[in-house]
Amino acid sequence: MTAYLLRRALIALPTLFGVVVLVFLMVRLAPGDPAVLLAGEFATPETLEAIRARYGLDRSLPEQFLIYLGALLRGDLGESARSRRPVLEELKTYFPNTLELASAAILVAVLTGIPLGILAALRPGSGLDLSVMVLALLGVSMPVFWFGLLAILIFSVELGWFPVAGKGTLAHLVLPAITLGINATALLARMTRGTLLEVLSQDYIRTARAKGLAERVVVFKHALRNALIPVVTVVGLEFGTLLAGAVITETIFAWPGLGQLLVGSILARDYPVVQGAVLLVAITFVLINLLVDLLYATIDPRVRYD
Amino acid sequence: MRRFLAILGVLALPWTLAQGRLVVAQGTDPITLDAPLAQDSPSATVVTHISETLFELTPEGRIVPHLAEGHSFADGGRTLTIRLRRGITFHDGTPFNAEAVKFNLERFVSRELASPFAFLLSELERVEVVDSHTVRLRLKNPFAPILAHLTHSSTAMQSPTAIGRLGAQYRDNPVGTGPYRFQAWQKGQYVDLVRNENYWGQKPAIPQVRFVPVPEGTTRVALVETGQAHVAVRIPPQDIPRLQANRAVQVVRSPSLRTIYIYFNTQRPPFNDARVRQAMNHAVNREEILQFVLGGIGRVSDAPIAPGIFGYAPVGQYEFNPGRAQELLRQAGVSTPLRITLHCPTGRYFQDIQVCEAIQGQLRRVGVEATIRTLEWGAYLQETQRPLQENRIQMAMLGWGAVTGDADYGLYPLFHSSQWAPGFNRAFYRNPEVDRLLAQARISTLPQGRQSLYREAMTRIWQDAPWLFLHSELQVTAIRQEVQGFIVHPTERYLAYQASFR
Repeated sequence: MTAYLLRRALIALPTLFGVVVLVFLMVRLAPGDPAVLLAGEFATPETLEAIRARYGLDRSLPEQFLIYLGALLRGDLGESARSRRPVLEELKTYFPNTLELASAAILVAVLTGIPLGILAALRPGSGLDLSVMVLALLGVSMPVFWFGLLAILIFSVELGWFPVAGKGTLAHLVLPAITLGINATALLARMTRGTLLEVLSQDYIRTARAKGLAERVVVFKHALRNALIPVVTVVGLEFGTLLAGAVITETIFAWPGLGQLLVGSILARDYPVVQGAVLLVAITFVLINLLVDLLYATIDPRVRYD
Repeated sequence: MRRFLAILGVLALPWTLAQGRLVVAQGTDPITLDAPLAQDSPSATVVTHISETLFELTPEGRIVPHLAEGHSFADGGRTLTIRLRRGITFHDGTPFNAEAVKFNLERFVSRELASPFAFLLSELERVEVVDSHTVRLRLKNPFAPILAHLTHSSTAMQSPTAIGRLGAQYRDNPVGTGPYRFQAWQKGQYVDLVRNENYWGQKPAIPQVRFVPVPEGTTRVALVETGQAHVAVRIPPQDIPRLQANRAVQVVRSPSLRTIYIYFNTQRPPFNDARVRQAMNHAVNREEILQFVLGGIGRVSDAPIAPGIFGYAPVGQYEFNPGRAQELLRQAGVSTPLRITLHCPTGRYFQDIQVCEAIQGQLRRVGVEATIRTLEWGAYLQETQRPLQENRIQMAMLGWGAVTGDADYGLYPLFHSSQWAPGFNRAFYRNPEVDRLLAQARISTLPQGRQSLYREAMTRIWQDAPWLFLHSELQVTAIRQEVQGFIVHPTERYLAYQASFR
């Protein structure tokens, strides 16, 4: 197991290096002078020069990259060109909030999507099955933006059940978590139904039933365990997607997460922050993938990492 | 179900408004609270409550002493002596005096700080302390707009002790002389201010103010509708009718110093002929654009700068007259259809691309076929500011906020021939008479004299038509009925210190 972890960590390194190179090139090769964007519309040539010098923008691209890489290896992500705070400090402020929101959203998805999928699979073709599938279709095709605003108008403005926006109490988390999780919920419901139906038609299930096992035992002990393996993969991947894709939901609900920081930084070409944030998301992705693989071993005894 | 609702009801308690606290929903979180670095309006708004400037620009466009008590020019306008108010201390107890002013102004222009607004005091040569409450500013050249520049929120006075003590942490813990003192900043969530009980001026009526960042316009509106915020700034037009139907909320429209225009490259055919530029101005129906594209959220321009700026005067109207436009094009020897490219930003200004599309349709009626080209903002700026030889723009939309509230800043960078791109005169406009008038108004220290110089310069600019003059923006703000006295400043700052609850 330790050897496996080590090997995975080594494979992750070139991936992360690739991310660093790509992001570095993307933000720099975009047309337009970042100094102009940073200095604002009103700056004089002297100010521009001072800003270029301050952020090393007056150096050649390879030079800038080496300086950036060197600092990165020392754990220094640089300083935000807009706020002039260390990037690490900025990420520490916003990332936990995104993590919180994405975790709540995936929890919503797992706690509603999977049970709905199971219920639908147990009574294929029933009215329940049909309604779950219609809801799932709606959930997958609903634009997050529209759904979020609708949720605010109905549940905050009209009914007054939940706060409109911001972070504070547990109630603040409800609408954004459902909004962010709605697509994943629908996806999980469909996946669970599909895989469970497939497993239920297999020979060993028939054998289990023929042995006279209670239906409950057949479904939960034998069928579900196998059906859930692909679902776990999807949960893991979805979690990563939620982390990266929380931008819109965070915007609608004024949630103080990475999305808010990232959008402002991209528009202002705040290089250090954009690079730091993308790197952080990439690292999280790699870690989640690793976690999913480890989870396999727990769910499916046939999977061994030696 | 009822029990579920009851539980939710209990949960709901924490987000009802605290007594005596005004909540203002802005578009974004401040980026920094260190005044010289605060570029965006949310930052400048919060800074203005904490730190004050030597002079103040009133919402009506007058420049009045603030932390200064009075001033005098000498040496042909090269020396400005400022007398300071006595008995003022910063929130940390540091006395406000001539030394503090010298410290702040020198920090403002220093290269280490690299403030994007350093240009405001680029004429400053040195600052001298005359006595404890008098400072003398020595200028490189006579420069009348200096007073206006000292009203800019980036030049606000901040405690030298706090800056020295906190270093880089100062931007998160600002200390000024203002009516409110800084209390807490939970990044991305809120900035809390409390009333300065030792304030030297009129003490605010409201003991606490909270600024919350809410990027989505409709969400800001919902906050005000539900009473979770008192004020929401920058209301999207589609939400205005709903708000107006709500008796708990007032919708306030206030002028902004920002002017939107489309400039021509006046050095290249076909726009090197003033008649062609005038024809374009006659071909566009601004009232129609204002009503149908901007939803009434704007004001048709009658001068190159907006009202509320010192030196503004209405100098003209280009009547909508397609016949006259065609006539002028014929006189200029332009054969139609005339094919041109119109550059336009997307999402930078209110309804920008939609305005361009409307203009495209209107120009077609006089035989001008405009192709719209859009670019991402960074690339857009780069394209438009190339020097003449490399510049391929024919017409492009831009906006200009005269941040100092003075006509010099609204006109000199845009129309003086010394400011050709890569400066801000992207139309490559040159008129020796306008050059002379703008230069004269810079050194003339008598306000009346400056005003008439600007009127004359603007009249000539209007006739030369280096721009397709469009409109100035309006700021739409939703304020709950129980709040009065909240100021929406033309510089796009929002001021709570004269507000009170009914």
